Amino acid sequence: MFRDRRESDLSEELQFHLEREIERLQASGLPRNEARLQALRLFGGVEQIKEEARDARGTSTWDTLVRDTRQGLRRLVHDWRFTTAAVLILGLAIGANTAIFSLVNAVLFRDQAIADPDRLVNIYQNDPSGRPLIVTSYATYMEIADYTDIFEETMAATIPLPVRYLHNNAVREAVIEAATANYLEVLGLRPSLGRWFDATEERPGAPIVAVLGHQTWTSVFRSHPGVIGQVVRIEGVPVTIIGIGPANHRGTVDVGLGTDAWVPITALPLMAQFASMRNAPTIIAPLFVKARLRDGVTVAQARTAMDILGRRLVAENPEQFKRSGEFALGPGITVLPSTDVRIHPQADVPFMALASLLLTIVGLVLAIACSNLATLLLVRGAARAKEVSVRLAMGATRRQLVRHLLTESVLLALAGGIAGCVLAWWGMRALQAIDLPLRVDLAVDYRVLAFAIGLSLVTGLAFGLAPALKATRVDLLQTLRDEGLQPLDHRRLTLKNALIVMQVAISVLLLGGTSIFLQQVAATRALRVGYAVDGVAMLETDLRFAGYSEDQARNVYDDLLRRIGSLPGVEAAALLRGLPMARNSVPIVVDDAADQKVSEAAMIDAGPGFFDTLRIELLHGRVFDARDRADSPRVAVISDAMAQKHFGVVNAVGRRFRLANDPSSWTEVIGVVRDTGTGDLDDEVVVTSAPPYYRSYTQAGALPTTVIARTSRDAASLVAAMQRELRAIDVALPVMTAQTMAQAREEAQAPPAAAATLLGILGGLGLVLASIGLYAVVAFAVARRSREIGIRMALGARSQQVVSSIARGVAGLVGVGTGVGLFLTVLLMLTLRASSGESNIGIGNITVYRPNIDPLELLAIAAVTAVVGVAAAFVPARRATRVHPLEALRHE
Amino acid sequence: MSDQTDVLQGTLDLLILRTIALEPMHGWAIAQRIQQISNDLLRVQQGSLYPALHRLEHQGWITAEWGASENNRRARFYALTKAGRKQVDTELAKWERLSAGVNLVLQRT
Repeated sequence: MFRDRRESDLSEELQFHLEREIERLQASGLPRNEARLQALRLFGGVEQIKEEARDARGTSTWDTLVRDTRQGLRRLVHDWRFTTAAVLILGLAIGANTAIFSLVNAVLFRDQAIADPDRLVNIYQNDPSGRPLIVTSYATYMEIADYTDIFEETMAATIPLPVRYLHNNAVREAVIEAATANYLEVLGLRPSLGRWFDATEERPGAPIVAVLGHQTWTSVFRSHPGVIGQVVRIEGVPVTIIGIGPANHRGTVDVGLGTDAWVPITALPLMAQFASMRNAPTIIAPLFVKARLRDGVTVAQARTAMDILGRRLVAENPEQFKRSGEFALGPGITVLPSTDVRIHPQADVPFMALASLLLTIVGLVLAIACSNLATLLLVRGAARAKEVSVRLAMGATRRQLVRHLLTESVLLALAGGIAGCVLAWWGMRALQAIDLPLRVDLAVDYRVLAFAIGLSLVTGLAFGLAPALKATRVDLLQTLRDEGLQPLDHRRLTLKNALIVMQVAISVLLLGGTSIFLQQVAATRALRVGYAVDGVAMLETDLRFAGYSEDQARNVYDDLLRRIGSLPGVEAAALLRGLPMARNSVPIVVDDAADQKVSEAAMIDAGPGFFDTLRIELLHGRVFDARDRADSPRVAVISDAMAQKHFGVVNAVGRRFRLANDPSSWTEVIGVVRDTGTGDLDDEVVVTSAPPYYRSYTQAGALPTTVIARTSRDAASLVAAMQRELRAIDVALPVMTAQTMAQAREEAQAPPAAAATLLGILGGLGLVLASIGLYAVVAFAVARRSREIGIRMALGARSQQVVSSIARGVAGLVGVGTGVGLFLTVLLMLTLRASSGESNIGIGNITVYRPNIDPLELLAIAAVTAVVGVAAAFVPARRATRVHPLEALRHE
Repeated sequence: MSDQTDVLQGTLDLLILRTIALEPMHGWAIAQRIQQISNDLLRVQQGSLYPALHRLEHQGWITAEWGASENNRRARFYALTKAGRKQVDTELAKWERLSAGVNLVLQRT
């Protein structure tokens, strides 16, 4: 290496000097030997000169670093037990942090390929309070696109819509965007293969084409170029693939779930799963509008233009701005530079908050690990006090020693970081093996690596410094004279104790968080749902995938219903559209209401036999039957809650209401049924916003999709039997959903259950780490006091007494830590209870669970912590009493 | 020997810079030259010479290059850099101030 060459240069140079000196002395008449001796005498220590020359260069920083690293590595290898423990602790914590960070990174920080992003703006319709809304109607988009003097080109794309498509005879889930033909042009990108759809393909009625997302093309279609020209059935509709999207472009909303395909915006009514979209007179969908500014036009100018448009729209369509509820429009249009928006102006803040919350939680685990490392280093530092004082006495400076110790801790942290990356990588692979509904691209990129390495370095330096300083602050004489009997540290408030208390407190807090989510899961389970769950099974299919015409399909469904209804044990069966109790939020206007105000209701598509199958009790009027056809007047069965909330009476039969966006949709109430929990939870968990009503799919002019049946026997075997009946009709019919009602309800609890699991794992990890810390501290204290213990044992103390004296100290630490942790947990619960319970972010409502402060639960957490803590302390304490008194006295 | 003086730390830099200002020289020659020119009054210890050379090189005032010595052996030759030439003037001025100061003090007391 470079350094080696310099080293040999120096040797050669000095050698040359010596020889010239000898020659000079010889020339002055001395014999060779004499000359050599004198030259050497004059020369002094060669090594010393070398050392000084090296120091003079000042380049020694690098050399010192290399030397320190080598020494540090040697010492760490020597103390392999300590090293393994420390690397494991850090690896777990850094691994957890890196895994969570790569998730956040994938969702929030990854860059999208967009050409010239500075000239791109996002345009939003405002809500009544003037904030950007997620809904921009197609009509408004057309108006915006007309401002060609401001915008070079304006495009619109829907938020990613969940759809299902048939591939290799299996129904797969996907998200598609319906976009305008100039979508890619506005972004300044080109398809990586094939082409994008053009204006002719955007006309209504044109054969539907699609452009596949690059990620989907590589993963699902294995990058096969022959996919272009193929026909794929999306939501049963045949769609021709004409191109592959640009690589590195994952979609308009880049939150990690890449868009699988783009279709022309006019195809939207066919693809949309929401009936309200399908039946709308014009395309009403949550649209994202982006435009490229004309050269020389500023964002401010665009804002002015859009202000004028906003005012004009209110003047021209006043009734559009009268809606209330979730998607109420307000006057005004917001223009923001695209680079300022991550997902949506209103969603960015909660998203960031969620991300920081996640990072904070894993950060807490890291804090435990770091304080743990610090504890271990402190313990080690104290154990090495003698070595340190010998070195100080030999003339090493304190600076050098601190440098050595710091090098060691940084090395440890880096090793931990590497272990962490491996663990994180392994953990994420395990995660990706699970079929998650949302596919997050968890690739480890430079940000993740930089994060992990930065974290390790900061950890090593910050948490190595205090122990290093403490370890080198020794009383030389005292330590060197010492024969093992040291003044016991009776101070309560030592760094070590504070660290242990902190670790225990954080673990308790994490476990407290886990209990909140467990409560939520339990609350959901305990909820009275108001409809039959036991023995109920469902089977969803979509005949459009098998190419049936609508009339054929109707017959097939009737046939399927008949077959399933006659299965042994089946008590009732019904057809419906969508999944049972899944509801769509719709704006309605109630007849006779004085102000014609728009309010929210939830619509459930049912069919004849629905209420009987799910045992939903009829209170007034009648339920759906054969009289309700597509050509008969529209009717609805409403819930008790809706009758009382919207009509103010118990028996609302005969009253009318309509959908707010369709003046011709007057619907008569024919029956009132008992309230159900539907998909949501009760007051304590989630605020019931919109009460549900039921309409018959037969009147919606749509095909059913699902058969539900109730059996007196096992629901799981009914699911299997139903699938057999489906195959008996036509093997090509795809199964979209086949499950029991109990499974469906369990699925709804997946998010809180997942949160509980994650927090539980982190809490458990924290507790394990904290107990390692406790173990180390006690083991160290015992080692230091082994002489004292030996004397006490020799004088007749029983091992019990010795153990209890150690246990008292540990119990104090664990007790204080648990107390602080419980206090913080209660504080967190009180904060959650005090929160309003619902926060509107413009896209959907995020509901916050308000936990109960359950003393038993808190007690359980405290007990677990105490047991683990005492167990961690017991092992080394027990070892102390096993020490033979003689040996202990002989102990150095 | 006893009337030889070890070169003061600090003034050595000036002496070295001044010596190699004329032509590039190797370490031994620099020591010899200083001794000769000072009529054997000044003696440069190897122990200070080489650290000083390396320090000056590190500061960028001199550069070193391998070349053939007067008796045709490989030797490291030191030469002034541009910055080194300026430094000679600075060091000279510093020295003159110092020696003038010292003289004044010695004359008064």
